[in-house]
Amino acid sequence: MEGLKIIQENLAILAPLFVLQLILMVIALIDLAKNEVPRGPKWVWALVIIFVNIIGPIVYFIAGKRR
Amino acid sequence: MQWTVILKKELTENWRNFKWLWVPIVFILISIMDLISTYYMPIIIESAGGLPEGTVIDIPMPSPSEAMLMSFSQLNMIGVLILTVMSMGTISGEIKSGVYELILAKPVKYTNYVTGKFFSYWLLMMVSLLLGLLASWYYTNLLFGELALSQMFVAALFYACWLTLVIAIVILYNTWFKSPGLIAFLSIITVIILTVMTNIFGHVLGWSPAKITEYISIYLHTGDLDIEIWFSAIVTLLLSLACILFAIVSLRNRAID
Repeated sequence: MEGLKIIQENLAILAPLFVLQLILMVIALIDLAKNEVPRGPKWVWALVIIFVNIIGPIVYFIAGKRR
Repeated sequence: MQWTVILKKELTENWRNFKWLWVPIVFILISIMDLISTYYMPIIIESAGGLPEGTVIDIPMPSPSEAMLMSFSQLNMIGVLILTVMSMGTISGEIKSGVYELILAKPVKYTNYVTGKFFSYWLLMMVSLLLGLLASWYYTNLLFGELALSQMFVAALFYACWLTLVIAIVILYNTWFKSPGLIAFLSIITVIILTVMTNIFGHVLGWSPAKITEYISIYLHTGDLDIEIWFSAIVTLLLSLACILFAIVSLRNRAID
């Protein structure tokens, strides 16, 4: 029960962090879906965006598009 | 006005490629990450285990100003990096893809073109920086203790001068080279050289732009604004202006070639 209590107490502190990460991930995925000229296969990017926290979406936004 | 049209075009472009969403979010994340992990360090160490029974974990909590400075040092590394890579292709990319010729086939002034681009990125930087530091300030107050909001704003404004210079440098390199990678690389090298030179010759270069972070740390600790920080800020803004003017001139000369 103690673990649960810690999580409950700290939800207010941690929630924004998770929400922001989630938004970042979703934006990156939307962008990927619209992206017609991805640099590299789309499914690899999707995996990177979903599984690499924070860095994944950033790397996608910087390097994922061919101009 | 022509300038507003170009600015609007830039803002729309940055909105469509989600820069207005991801850059602020990333700035917020990098500003608060360190604060949160520092705050939870004792719990993390405890639950990671591996320590003998009865070990006393005593990690001193940072003072509010130290906590705020953690955000600044993160922004100084990752923030600068992100600013450079997000604006590395702004002019060079258009020159490469031919959009540049399309735009300048119309009677568009180079001054408007360059300053419009600069200002759009500057706005994005300001919004991201303010949001990031506001988040950092909120967490500082929540986790480590009181820090005046006004103090954060003053520090943010001075820090913005430094980031303004970073953007100006990137824009300048944009008019010189065509490869975005090279531009980002050279901009970061320039910033690093500036910082290292300032660290080595700090006693002579009291007004160096790279000193702003140092003065901000003094300001956050003592609450007094050193006169030197003003000189540093003015020098930084003048240098940014010089970079922009130089960028306009080189773009104009490029057209003559």
